[in-house]
Amino acid sequence: MPQNVIIAEKLETIPIEEIRSVKGEIIISESYPSYLVDESKISGGHAEYLFFPNDENEIVSIVQKIKEEEIMITVSAARTGIVGSAVPFGGAVLSLERMDKVLGLGYDEENEKWFVRVQPSIALNEINDIVKFKKFEDNQSIPPEKKWVEKFREVPTQYYPVDPTEMTASIGGTIAANASGARSFKYGPTRSWIRRIRVILGSGEVLDIKRGEYKAVNNTFVIKTSTEDLEVKIPDYKMPRAKNAAGLISGHDVDLIDLFIGSEGLFGVISEVDVWLKDYTSQISNVAFFKEESDAIDFVIKLRDNDEAKPEFIEFFDNNALDLLRNKQKEDPKFVNMPSISKSIKTAISFDLPYSEEDLEKNFNAISKILEECNSSLEGTWSGYEERELVRFKHFRHAVPEIVNNTIAERKKNHPDIHKLGTDMSVEDAHIKEMMSFYHQTLVEEELEYVMWGHIGDNHVHVNILPRNMEELQKGKEIYKIFAEKAVSFGGSVSAEHGIGKIKHEYLKIMYGEEGIQQMRVVKMSIDPDCVFNCGNIFGREVIK
Amino acid sequence: MLEVDIDACTGCKVCERVCPFAAIIVDPETKKAKVLDNCTLCGTCVNACKFDALSIERKAVSEEELLLYKDVFVWGEWERKEDKITTKNVVFELLGKGRELADKLGESLAVVLAGKDIDHLTEELFHYGADKVYLCKHELLEQYSTDGYATVISSVIAAEKPSVVLYGATPNGRDLAPRIAGRLALGLTADCTGLDIDESRQLIQTRPAFGGNIMASIYSPYTRPQMSSVRPNVFPKPKPDTAKQGVLEEFDVKLSPINIRTKIIEEIISKDEGVKIEEANILVSAGRGIGLKENLGLIYEMAEELDATVAGSRALIDLGWLPHPQQVGQSGKTVAPNLYFALGISGAIQHLVGMTSSDTIIAINKDPDAPIFKIADFGIVGDIFEIIPEFIKLLRMRKQSDL
Amino acid sequence: MKIVVLVKQVPEADKVAVDPETGTLIREGVASILNPYCEYALDEAVRLKESYTEKDIEVVAISMGPPQTKSALLRCLELGADKAYLLSDRKFAGSDVWATSTALKEGVSKLEPDFDLILTGKQAIDGDTAQVPAETAEQLGIPQITYGIEVKIDNKRIEVKRETDEGYQILSTRLPALVTMSKGSNIRRIPSMKQVLDSRRKPLDVVSADDLELDENKVGLKASPTQVSRVFAPPTKVGGDVIDGSDPKIAAQKLLEYLVNNKYLKDV
Repeated sequence: MPQNVIIAEKLETIPIEEIRSVKGEIIISESYPSYLVDESKISGGHAEYLFFPNDENEIVSIVQKIKEEEIMITVSAARTGIVGSAVPFGGAVLSLERMDKVLGLGYDEENEKWFVRVQPSIALNEINDIVKFKKFEDNQSIPPEKKWVEKFREVPTQYYPVDPTEMTASIGGTIAANASGARSFKYGPTRSWIRRIRVILGSGEVLDIKRGEYKAVNNTFVIKTSTEDLEVKIPDYKMPRAKNAAGLISGHDVDLIDLFIGSEGLFGVISEVDVWLKDYTSQISNVAFFKEESDAIDFVIKLRDNDEAKPEFIEFFDNNALDLLRNKQKEDPKFVNMPSISKSIKTAISFDLPYSEEDLEKNFNAISKILEECNSSLEGTWSGYEERELVRFKHFRHAVPEIVNNTIAERKKNHPDIHKLGTDMSVEDAHIKEMMSFYHQTLVEEELEYVMWGHIGDNHVHVNILPRNMEELQKGKEIYKIFAEKAVSFGGSVSAEHGIGKIKHEYLKIMYGEEGIQQMRVVKMSIDPDCVFNCGNIFGREVIK
Repeated sequence: MLEVDIDACTGCKVCERVCPFAAIIVDPETKKAKVLDNCTLCGTCVNACKFDALSIERKAVSEEELLLYKDVFVWGEWERKEDKITTKNVVFELLGKGRELADKLGESLAVVLAGKDIDHLTEELFHYGADKVYLCKHELLEQYSTDGYATVISSVIAAEKPSVVLYGATPNGRDLAPRIAGRLALGLTADCTGLDIDESRQLIQTRPAFGGNIMASIYSPYTRPQMSSVRPNVFPKPKPDTAKQGVLEEFDVKLSPINIRTKIIEEIISKDEGVKIEEANILVSAGRGIGLKENLGLIYEMAEELDATVAGSRALIDLGWLPHPQQVGQSGKTVAPNLYFALGISGAIQHLVGMTSSDTIIAINKDPDAPIFKIADFGIVGDIFEIIPEFIKLLRMRKQSDL
Repeated sequence: MKIVVLVKQVPEADKVAVDPETGTLIREGVASILNPYCEYALDEAVRLKESYTEKDIEVVAISMGPPQTKSALLRCLELGADKAYLLSDRKFAGSDVWATSTALKEGVSKLEPDFDLILTGKQAIDGDTAQVPAETAEQLGIPQITYGIEVKIDNKRIEVKRETDEGYQILSTRLPALVTMSKGSNIRRIPSMKQVLDSRRKPLDVVSADDLELDENKVGLKASPTQVSRVFAPPTKVGGDVIDGSDPKIAAQKLLEYLVNNKYLKDV
């Protein structure tokens, strides 16, 4: 069979009454409101059904029932997404929360990597807890006769290296979003770590897609279901070279699994996943401080290019972000849980390095040299490598967005419609300095309150605009668009990691034009012709059948 | 043997002044310290000597000598509450257990009571089971001091030779007991949760080890007395017998200001009496599962409806959301209320050791595998933020229908 | 002036777990850390060193434990200790409170006989017994103040703010003395990369029982007056009913019924 053809499996169904569910828009909105929102905090979510399937057969049974009723399904797990992908606007919510188990462990001899098989709703930190502490049962080997679990106990500690900041996110959700985070600087996004997925389609049949088994031929795949052959044409628009999570993948020899990863649930429900693992390497977390932002950016560029000390990630905090921390420290020192940062510091750069006693001196001397070239030094930096210190540094890195969210929540009390404007744009390496000064210049000119922080290693710094009133919100939205255009002109993405969801489709247009979006629609309609799944995502809520 | 290093001794007479038994003097001729026959090896002088001229070489005690040690002692710790001196509850709890041990040994039970205005405490100690009270009164014992109390109690022990001495593992108990153990070269088992006498008349002291993951039985075969400390609320308080009488023996205390090297300069009693979780009948205890500090509001609301006291697991104290005196668990307090609500507490062993003696434990937790359910009398797998508001509603409805 | 800080390495307590089937401790993945209260003590020592510059304070960290305890001492050096000793010897194994404090006493008095102040944590989070510091002070024949939260040095005396059940006390005693710390500054220190780098060049000596002229009859299991006769799994209480709380109304109702049936709430 050609390598672009995949056959869908049919599964047994069970009577719908046997599946735990809640029916009725009012009951759901009153008693289960948490299923109607995610971390985007967009309002107006509503649903007529809420299902809690336990396995693939139950999902298939639900899909068939929903198809009969001609309504749509919104797939939901941890709801940690921030673009509203899990927020339903009518139809049914399929909450996968009961499918949160580890199914097994195996060794991928072809790729020379361990992998763990899990259900879609398991949280990333749960996967790592089980993997790091080797909490597997002997009967969980894949396949059983290989006794991988026993062998696994002898190998060095392994882990799943994708860290999209929010570690309570579900694996399924992070696959749908192709989540990344700071560490994608070294390890790449979710896509690089997914070995295999199972996806239930709108036909109620399931695809078992293993990386490397299905490749596009002439930009085309064929999915054979029991009733028809679905012909899928992969888009051919040019994707940015910078970090990107906006829209569907394009290209010539795309692997089928990569079409599904990052598709924001447009094609089906992920029901099972194999993720690859890697050797756990000890880390040493550091924060360096600068009196000028330009010195900090120079440091980032030199750090990125140096051959001695290879950072795991590089994170940026501008002076406004540091001010937020400084103010918070005065009122609640435990919240930040770090020593106070002097007013003379304008920028902080946080970076992790691999930690070993043998390399410590070499690495630190290399960093010392770069710091001195950039008008800073090892003195006054922060450094820690014990497990609890790593947790502490991590908490520090996350404190800024948390304070921003709290500030916005406070402002909502007076202006209920106010929300944070958080950009998620990347640019190519060569343009990072220009982009940073463009951000500052524009925002200062417009007199908006803002902070900048994030993944500068990938030229992917988040700008958070904190509007104080509705007028500023409006102004911020206009500026957002200007930033998006600028980022695209610098070879970047309008959404480097959060995805498009239900709130960023207008910026997607800036990247790919109406034509590109039309190509995505074609893919959507060829795999999910009845428009069963997550229809508002990527395209906005006005999808044409 | 108490040894005098003649070269180091300056003849300053501090030892003579501090010895509770007048058993060391400075020889008027040699101008050096000289040990008399009535020395009990209590160690007071060794501590007081500024020139390191005194030392005690303690030899292993022979089996025959071990048999000479008799009776169970309890340190009679008291506290001052609104200018009234009362015996600490833990002393009564220890008397209950001490009575049991003394009966098994066929020996008597005594309290060593040190202080200044403490005569009024003795009666009650008899009611709770003491056969005898050693009353050690002195001006300098008006307030607790490590040196003053260690000196007096070491002297009583050295002179009276009990087989068992029990201390409450209170802040002062933990300050005092190791000091005495160090002075008399004795074993000391801290934070015992079980005490018993075995067939060879040894005190078997059981305590949690490795953070409560295993229990260890410990004994001290070659030294006497055998000393243990026990946390408050571990043993039940016995019923007092108001008819019971006992023997009061005043123990002559010799104490000089130079004994007490540490001086209290200032005492700050916080006005806010603080929350006493160890005395509460109902505890509503919250853990990491509550997520945000703001959510404590709900916990307080529920506690108010139940007339309960709020406590927390270590996680919340570490985060600074609750003060340390409200911490339940190994590094906090041991509690034994009638009713204990564990809300969002997974039940790490360090927490469990601090609350398992509660009469009834109710647990609500999202994680069905949380260890707390293994010990809960009634458990609910679910979201505390959904269930508690409903529960509060029900409680309020009952109150209204009551009116 | 010289401050000795006695420290202990402990497992990060809330992660120690028991295998439910075998009843053995699961140590895998459990990190060892410098006992938090010991870190407070070290923090206070470094604070004193920084605030009494005229006294030219030297901070020496001493610990007793297996060879891997070095990492806790390394952390002390990173945080500002000037040198460190690890008392490590198989002969120390099995030490109880008495034997541990004997070894520490010998360590302090032989390695740093001219010490002025000893700071320790109020207790270790793995045992929580809080007995070793006081017994060490007794063996050294020096006064002690437990549960300190702040130390001030005044010539040959110290003033210590001490936590009590009822509030605070300010105590004063002469040096040399031992103080146990129950709190430190609100935020734990973080070493700089420079301090981390420098700490690798500071002296960290391993000291054996022979170095301290201690034979087996003085330390370790043989010298311990207390002996462990038996270890066993803690008695397991059998849990009661666990109900599904996915419907909060029903769950709350059932909870109420349980409390009424068990007479914690009266029937209405």
